[in-house]
Amino acid sequence: MTETRGSNEALLEVKDLRTHFATADGLVKAVDGVSLRIRPGKTLGVVGESGCGKSITALSIMRLIERPGRVVSGSISFDGQDLIALPEDEMRDVRGNQISMIFQEPMTSLNPVYTCGDQIAEAVSRHSNVSKRAAMDRAVDMLSQVGIPDPKRRATEHPHQLSGGMRQRVMIAMALSTNPELLIADEPTTALDVTIQAQILELMKALREKNGMAIMLITHDLGVVAEMSDDVSVMYAGKIVEASDAITVFDKAHHPYTRGLLASIPRMGVKRERLEVIEGVVPNPLNLPKGCLFKRRCPYAMPICDNPPPLREVTPGHVSRCWLAPDGGKPELGEAPSAAEAEAAAKTLTVANP
Amino acid sequence: MATYILRRLIQAIPIVVGISLISFLIVYLTPGSPVDKFRTPRVSPQTIANLIHLYGLDQPLPIQFWNWFTHFWSFPWDNLAWGYSFTDGRPVRDKIFQRIPSTLLLMGTSLVVSLVIAIPIGILQAIKQYSWADRIITTFETIGYAMPTFWLGLILKQFFAVNLNWLPLNGQNTLGKQGDIPDMIMHLILPVTTLAVVSIAGWSRYMRASMLEVMRQDYVRTARAKGLPPSRVIGRHALRNAMIPIVTLLGLTIPSLLSGAAITETVFSWPGLGWLGVTSVGDRDYPVVLAVTMIGGMMVIIGNLLADVLYAVVDPRIHY
Amino acid sequence: MASSETTRPGAVSPLGNADTDEIDLVAVQTYWQLVRRRFFRNKTAVIGLVLLSILIFSAIFFPWIGGDAWHMTNLSKGPNDPISITAPLGYDNLGINIFFRLMKALQTSLIIGFSAVLIIAVVGTTFGSISGYAGGWVDNLMMRIVDVVLSLPGFFLILMLVAFIGSVVAPMFVIIIAIGITGWTTAARLVRAEFLRLRESDFVQAAKALGASDSRIIIRHMVPSAMAPVLVAATLGIADAVSTEAALSFLGYGIRPPDASLGNMLTGAQDYFYRHPLWILYPGITLILVVLAASFLGDGLRDALDPRQKLEA
Repeated sequence: MTETRGSNEALLEVKDLRTHFATADGLVKAVDGVSLRIRPGKTLGVVGESGCGKSITALSIMRLIERPGRVVSGSISFDGQDLIALPEDEMRDVRGNQISMIFQEPMTSLNPVYTCGDQIAEAVSRHSNVSKRAAMDRAVDMLSQVGIPDPKRRATEHPHQLSGGMRQRVMIAMALSTNPELLIADEPTTALDVTIQAQILELMKALREKNGMAIMLITHDLGVVAEMSDDVSVMYAGKIVEASDAITVFDKAHHPYTRGLLASIPRMGVKRERLEVIEGVVPNPLNLPKGCLFKRRCPYAMPICDNPPPLREVTPGHVSRCWLAPDGGKPELGEAPSAAEAEAAAKTLTVANP
Repeated sequence: MATYILRRLIQAIPIVVGISLISFLIVYLTPGSPVDKFRTPRVSPQTIANLIHLYGLDQPLPIQFWNWFTHFWSFPWDNLAWGYSFTDGRPVRDKIFQRIPSTLLLMGTSLVVSLVIAIPIGILQAIKQYSWADRIITTFETIGYAMPTFWLGLILKQFFAVNLNWLPLNGQNTLGKQGDIPDMIMHLILPVTTLAVVSIAGWSRYMRASMLEVMRQDYVRTARAKGLPPSRVIGRHALRNAMIPIVTLLGLTIPSLLSGAAITETVFSWPGLGWLGVTSVGDRDYPVVLAVTMIGGMMVIIGNLLADVLYAVVDPRIHY
Repeated sequence: MASSETTRPGAVSPLGNADTDEIDLVAVQTYWQLVRRRFFRNKTAVIGLVLLSILIFSAIFFPWIGGDAWHMTNLSKGPNDPISITAPLGYDNLGINIFFRLMKALQTSLIIGFSAVLIIAVVGTTFGSISGYAGGWVDNLMMRIVDVVLSLPGFFLILMLVAFIGSVVAPMFVIIIAIGITGWTTAARLVRAEFLRLRESDFVQAAKALGASDSRIIIRHMVPSAMAPVLVAATLGIADAVSTEAALSFLGYGIRPPDASLGNMLTGAQDYFYRHPLWILYPGITLILVVLAASFLGDGLRDALDPRQKLEA
């Protein structure tokens, strides 16, 4: 546990992270220049479609990327420590202890041959010097904290004896049993029924209050983001395309992708005959477009978009990776500047510390 | 579980009947009669006729089958349940029971040796997939698996026993040294090695595949995310799951404990059940042939049941 | 805020899809094209295919040009004669040209292997498809039969059949039939599993709705889908069948001299190992090559037909 720090100092700071996969078909740049910041006790929602690299970002932070993937560059700073430079055995002390992670599929994320209690107690024993008995007591205690009835009995049961929602609660119990400062939740509710989803989110909120822990919540569901997040980062094709606090992103979205996402949510009370969609498909990672990765689907696309847009400041604390002016109007440079002009402009516009 | 086993045993009865029928029919329908070997010029037709009557060969097929079948199952207490051997007149049960320990010794030893070597190799390969060690071992496995056991046995025998004279040529013991353990071990080395090479190739491939399959699973990722050291992730989380198919496969290999080594036993003149089976086929010693077939069949049934039971024991998700 | 000049979100991008320098979509391939692509990317699979082709070619070509060389004894020649182009492996103690005998043996073994596997495939597919399609008590009964056949000690049974009947009827024929009738069970199970799965599938339901008869459905629609696992099992079965025949012939049953088989060449070579160690190696290595080729090919087919892709460099 570390001493308290100013609430604006980042607990986790990721700068220009790049994780690439050398596949048989070519190099896949799953994460290509992602930067984000999580403040202590705050929740960052990372939003994007399937395949945009959000999970890989989380796994990169945890240093759980395996062949053929590799973190090629960038820095990950947690609590002042550089996670990338950390020797593996010290990283293991961080994993499951100061940073915990829960995954999308509760069905398969728990080991089927050991009891739930065993698996939680294992995490406890690993990171603290308590007796086996004490570890198991803590496991049972965690199970009751996550709202599982009859926790003593459940601790002796195997995962297949529990429902999906309960298994996810067990995962949460396991992740929180070591009092982490940061919880990374990768699509924690996607695989669950809607009613169970709501319960799990409520549970996470309650535990967050109780423990003061920060959460990195990864999801493609904007509703979940709206409920839980203080800050929001939007990802597309391996890059951050927009980031700010939640209210700004929802009310004053700048990037056409974000706006497309928001517009596609059906609203009660509004009469429509067709749902809004974002035309086109996510680009093939082996065949990315030149310049802005979203341009093929963007209603505002113009020739300047053939140049990679800078991650620019829209308002203080709100960034967007787009050529459009902060007020949403035409780019300052005009619609079709030369490549050299565009490159120069990109340099000046790019925010130093997103 | 007890009811499950009982249910399976009852289900096995028609299968056993089926096996008996087929075995008996094959023997019955074979061209020639068992008494043909006695038809020398010195033997009178009357003696032949008496023999036919003695062996019950003049009775209709269903009666013959019924007699044999009902007698067969009294083997736990009746030494004559399986009849008399046609080659040396001894009770078949005696001949077979005498051979069983030798076969068990050979097969048991090679199974243990194979597993002890193969499982760590498979695990190692899975952990270091695609490394040069993995590739070399895979090459050996592939060749070893493709090798005919008798060929390997021949080569080993000729090389080590004949040319170098380091190890004995065949048999289980040197004459006069029955019960001498070190001597028996010397005799055991070559046949076990022969069997083990192919066996290790098979088991380690299986272990490797199982381990790889398990290591891809989500719960292994979870274990890593908990900050567990690799030894624990592999040794406790992955291995325990990877062993499940191995254990069930073990159940299925039980049948071969008694019948699998026929060829190797023949090459090394190892006095086991497999060799007995092969020679009795050549000798047309039908009572022995039938008994060996039936034993083989029952071992398969037991092996299948054992595999399913073991599966339930090691995998908590399964229960009957 | 979007200016009034720009289109509302959701409309098609004004740049359209006319850009010629990037294409977002990957060319669509048919199932068989994908399978072929996966297969040929697999080095061992290709090796297996090439090796098996070479072996088959040798088994056809050399016995044909060799004529009687494979069993023609010639006492003027012997093991001490030097090797030559026409006798690359020399002569054995009876003056028989070893190379041509080996090729003839290979031919015999391959014929037995392929024929036995053909029987396995045909019997297994027929059995499995009827069982899987019919369901109910028919399925149950047929599966019990499979259980019985499976419980029989395979090698021993083949041995019995070959020994007992093979003395009266041509051994090669008996071996093929014996291996065939003891080995069809795996193929039957595979086909049955496929049929059970396909029976409820949409395209079969559609065919039924269009009024197609049962046999038409089975033959035209379901069998092709089920053939993939059978093909794999059959290829791997060749390795098995050839090994079994070799073992049988080695023991003295099965193919007997003067006929040539890889197995009985080994029996013969046993007695001459000390002075002519190579004689054991030739048939043994040939056998290993056949088994390897069939195994590589079978594994390669299995991997190519398996829809699960692997993502490694």
